[in-house]
Amino acid sequence: MDLYEYEAKRIFAEFGIKVPPSARITKPDGLRTVHLGYPLTLKCQVLSGGRGKAGGIQFAKDLKEGEAIAEKLLAMTIKDSKTESVLCEPKVSIAKEMYLAVTLDRSRGCPVFIAAADGGIEIESNDKIVTMPITFPYSSFQGRKIAKAMGLSGALHSKVADIANKLYRLYEELDLDLAEINPLVVTAGEDVLALDGKITVNDDALGRQERFNGWADKHMADLPERERRSKKAGLNLVELDGNIGIMCNGAGLTMATMDMVKNFGGNPGNFLDAGGGSDSEKTLQGLEIINDNPEVKVILLNILGGITACDEVATALVEFMKRHPERKMIVRLRGNNQDVAEKMLAASGTKLYPDLEDAVKAAVAASK
Amino acid sequence: MILVNKNTKVLVQGATGKMGASHTKRMVAYGTQIVAGVTPARGGSKVPGTEIPVYDTVKEAMDATGATASVIFVPPYLVLDAASEAVDAGISLLVVITEGIPPQDTAKLVAHARAKGVKMIGPNCPGIITPTEALLGILPGSIFKKGPVGMVSKSGTLTYEIALSLSDANLGQSTCVGVGGDPVKGMEYPEVLTMFENDPETEVIVLIGEIGGSAEEEAADFIKANIKKPVVAYIAGQTAPPGKRMGHAGAIISGGKGTAESKMKAMKAANIEVALTPREVAEKVAKLIKQPVTK
Repeated sequence: MDLYEYEAKRIFAEFGIKVPPSARITKPDGLRTVHLGYPLTLKCQVLSGGRGKAGGIQFAKDLKEGEAIAEKLLAMTIKDSKTESVLCEPKVSIAKEMYLAVTLDRSRGCPVFIAAADGGIEIESNDKIVTMPITFPYSSFQGRKIAKAMGLSGALHSKVADIANKLYRLYEELDLDLAEINPLVVTAGEDVLALDGKITVNDDALGRQERFNGWADKHMADLPERERRSKKAGLNLVELDGNIGIMCNGAGLTMATMDMVKNFGGNPGNFLDAGGGSDSEKTLQGLEIINDNPEVKVILLNILGGITACDEVATALVEFMKRHPERKMIVRLRGNNQDVAEKMLAASGTKLYPDLEDAVKAAVAASK
Repeated sequence: MILVNKNTKVLVQGATGKMGASHTKRMVAYGTQIVAGVTPARGGSKVPGTEIPVYDTVKEAMDATGATASVIFVPPYLVLDAASEAVDAGISLLVVITEGIPPQDTAKLVAHARAKGVKMIGPNCPGIITPTEALLGILPGSIFKKGPVGMVSKSGTLTYEIALSLSDANLGQSTCVGVGGDPVKGMEYPEVLTMFENDPETEVIVLIGEIGGSAEEEAADFIKANIKKPVVAYIAGQTAPPGKRMGHAGAIISGGKGTAESKMKAMKAANIEVALTPREVAEKVAKLIKQPVTK
């Protein structure tokens, strides 16, 4: 779950990382009660990246100009992400811009600091980035180590080391995938501030992070309707632009089925992984979601029953076909309780394909 | 065969839960030596529907039964604690089936297991099977056959699909290891590949990968330098769009990295046969087997 900038900054402040004073508005006239002085920075609160380039950050010299800018920003959508609110901060005079983040490095299998003492923002094209693996148990020397690796010394070294330690602590305590300060700035007054930040909370940890209870809905606002429905149902849907709806049990098998559809000349309309051990209700929900995609001409259901029992799937399928008798279905079922499922489906006249390649070829033919 | 055989003594953590109990029975039915269950505060009882004794702690279970491997079915937020207990007690092999463990927990567990020299498989994996000898995990035993093919995979059901293609073609397996689909995991491809290289019963290795990360590219380099046995690879996710998580936590193309194309290219550059369908895996393996397989 990605957080908005203002939410990230509240968390930074709570853990002792300095941020600029700010106010958040949801209406242009909300600016009238903001007393931060001018010039004022106004920033779209969106979940997508590339906000600055898209014009989502602007400066106002007075209230009148500020209200006009706020009106424009509040109506903006950046890369499919609608502006949730506008964050107002006094314009900061910057002496130096840095980058500092904590994230998990999958090939090392541990968290890492990623930092750069020069330039933030375009971090991906910065060639002065340093990466430092974090070891357990965490200790404050690791903050001093990354600050030194950034080439800092003196008072700035101490300040950045302290911020790095706080950043790691919040990363760990809140189960984050990413805690990023970009840019981390040194002001003309030699203050070190988190001028912008990004926090991604690990989705699997949401169940034990009470402070984020009920946040998921609001932060899924930018997801297309069917993807949101799937997420709520515990199904994993990614829509594509083809016309063959695909549902399987297991992520690898779903991807492999999509690939085979493509290799045999068809176009996959989606990835839908029903997961292991799905019952008939979940299977039915998945079929309904695919069915609601107007692009889909045929649904290919591929179940290899390991934990998933074929008869549970067959129950869902019988019900689905009762509801949508016109829907073209290609069904491949193999595994646990296959015989029971075959009997159930024989009664409804559904042909079963025991072989995956045969099923894929049939689905491709039906999609033309 | 590698890692497990008919003499491996296995304990199950979380054996008294619904999923743990049903899979414990399936593992026993396959012939696995399940010697103990471990659930805190349930010591003295039996795994439901079996005569397998339950202990409060891993240490007690190991002392009483001589178990050297643990299969973990406990809920995600309890895995770090349960698995650390097993590592601390001196277990040799840890198989973590549970899905949905926060990755920071996994990173801590992996560091602990590595420091103690414990072999860890998973998390979010189907487990290990040495056909006709032992099954540790949730794989459907009936689709595997004994034979000369070593399999290592990030996926569950895709592994079954490919095992089915192999078994249908009478190409049995020495051992099949599901390393799991999470971004941070215990054993990675190189460790398993090395074991297959050193295993006299394995003739051909099948590597099943998927989009995300760079483990397949690293495996390709490793194979080129260290593995003499023939390898057939299959990479899932050629049609996956960038920036979207495809089911597994680790299966995501980000910043243009981790595509199936890049992985297949790396494999081919290392002279590894790349199959495009599960059936093609079996066809390629059949050509590489030295001796005809007897039924």
